[in-house]
Amino acid sequence: MTIGAAEPGLAVGVDDGRAETLAMSRRSSRLTFLTGRWGHAFVRFAVAIALPAGAFLLWELAVDSGLASGRLVPPPSRILVTLADLWTAGQLADHIASTCLRVLLGFLAGAAAGALAGSLTGYFRFLHASVDPTLQALRAIPSIAWVPLFILWFGIFETSKVVLIATGVFFPVYLGVSTALLSVDRKIVEVGRIFRLSGFDLVRRILFPAVLPAFIVSLRAGLGLGWMFVVAAEFMGASEGLGYLLVDGQQLGKPDQIMAAILIFAIIGKLSDALLVRATAPLVAWQDNFSRGGL
Amino acid sequence: MLALTGLGKTYTGGVQALSGFTLDARPGEIVAVIGGSGCGKSTLLRLISGLDTPTAGNVNINGETVKQPHPLINLIFQEPRLLPWLSVRDNVGFGLAHLSRAEQASRIHEALCRVNLEAYGDRLPKALSGGQAQRVAIARALVTRPEVLLLDEPFSALDALTRETLQQHLLDIWSETRATMILVTHDIDEAVSLAHRVIVMKPWPGRILDEIVIAQPHQRAGSDFDRVGAQVRSALDRSLSASAPAAHSKTRPQHSLVLETSP
Repeated sequence: MTIGAAEPGLAVGVDDGRAETLAMSRRSSRLTFLTGRWGHAFVRFAVAIALPAGAFLLWELAVDSGLASGRLVPPPSRILVTLADLWTAGQLADHIASTCLRVLLGFLAGAAAGALAGSLTGYFRFLHASVDPTLQALRAIPSIAWVPLFILWFGIFETSKVVLIATGVFFPVYLGVSTALLSVDRKIVEVGRIFRLSGFDLVRRILFPAVLPAFIVSLRAGLGLGWMFVVAAEFMGASEGLGYLLVDGQQLGKPDQIMAAILIFAIIGKLSDALLVRATAPLVAWQDNFSRGGL
Repeated sequence: MLALTGLGKTYTGGVQALSGFTLDARPGEIVAVIGGSGCGKSTLLRLISGLDTPTAGNVNINGETVKQPHPLINLIFQEPRLLPWLSVRDNVGFGLAHLSRAEQASRIHEALCRVNLEAYGDRLPKALSGGQAQRVAIARALVTRPEVLLLDEPFSALDALTRETLQQHLLDIWSETRATMILVTHDIDEAVSLAHRVIVMKPWPGRILDEIVIAQPHQRAGSDFDRVGAQVRSALDRSLSASAPAAHSKTRPQHSLVLETSP
């Protein structure tokens, strides 16, 4: 004898119960997704994208309804069409690749030189006293001021561009490493001294790990400046690259192409920064940071 | 054998932190150094540890003058000073890089067992309580098997219960290792319950005011404990009342009060 047959009302109740359990289970799995690792990432992405997406939507509606002409600031739909056209013509990937390669080379060279110079001036007081004032003065020179000189020195092709980007990356990395070394807590250095560490061992086992968080922040700042300097570099007569798209768009009166290039700069700049953060996160997982929780 | 002879320190600018400090600590002796703020207690430990260089006198261990950090001397600071990027195990083994991996592992395990933290080896310092972190700092100092262990108010930042537990830990460790210990403290009860000898210092410049020898074995309690505590308190009161900067004597005190209590 089944319960349903003996007590129809109860059978209905059982069905309702199952349905309710199923619904609860679905709600629960949705909640589990949102509180899980991927769900958390999805929520963060959605929150981060909400502001630009909202702005694009408003601008699209404004142009669509005739409130704005969209001639000098084209709506997102027109920018997307331009991007699609550039992609289809096979140009966009080449422009992106050229710019990324320049930034990568300039970033690697500038970061290496900045880290080395920052380490030396941060560790040796004499070098700090003798070299740092000159480097600080050079840091104050606007990037564009270097352009004529670099063209004279390195020609108009790739070398001058990479050197200009490296110059931009060098200073924040130099300043970050040098300042971080000078401000390493005396107390932890004394721990190293009690265990008779000196010279290279002290640098390797105490100073380098201690300045690592500041070094990573300086790399992020350097990378950001690398993306800025690449535009100045590509204004120096480049025939491809996102900077070239900007100049080309300005000269031929194509604001949609300019906006498309700016949009790509924003996207790959953000992606490269996120990649750097993700790659270096395990190195600084030991930090006992303030966290407000939530997102 | 640790011998301090006429130890003095005058910092740049003429501030005299310590003057004419002479002390012979027997192997296995626990010497507590007590005194008000600014009487040169921490300076004394920095000089013995080799972190600072004396401007007068010298520090000797087994006849060898200490001019820089010495392998037979280790210092436990007031705060744990663990390296936040290393696990508990790696913090404890920080001073063992010159040993083989097997020897390192064995010593680290032994030291962690001594401070009852063998289950915490993989944790990062940020996941430890204050008491646990200070126990790791003690293990890190012990693992190098120092003959002289310097302790700079190591329990002062801890709550009373944790402090009492760690004091007992320290006594257990001392009974196993018989290391000479120089314990700087503000706590009279801590000094009287742990030390074989209490040195009371007076400030400006830091120098010895009184020495009180305690012959009673550890696990002290009752009237003898109270009596010695009262003697230390009385000496400390005199130290605090003699805190006028005018008292810039560079000589050792003319009278050393040496009291012994029966076991």
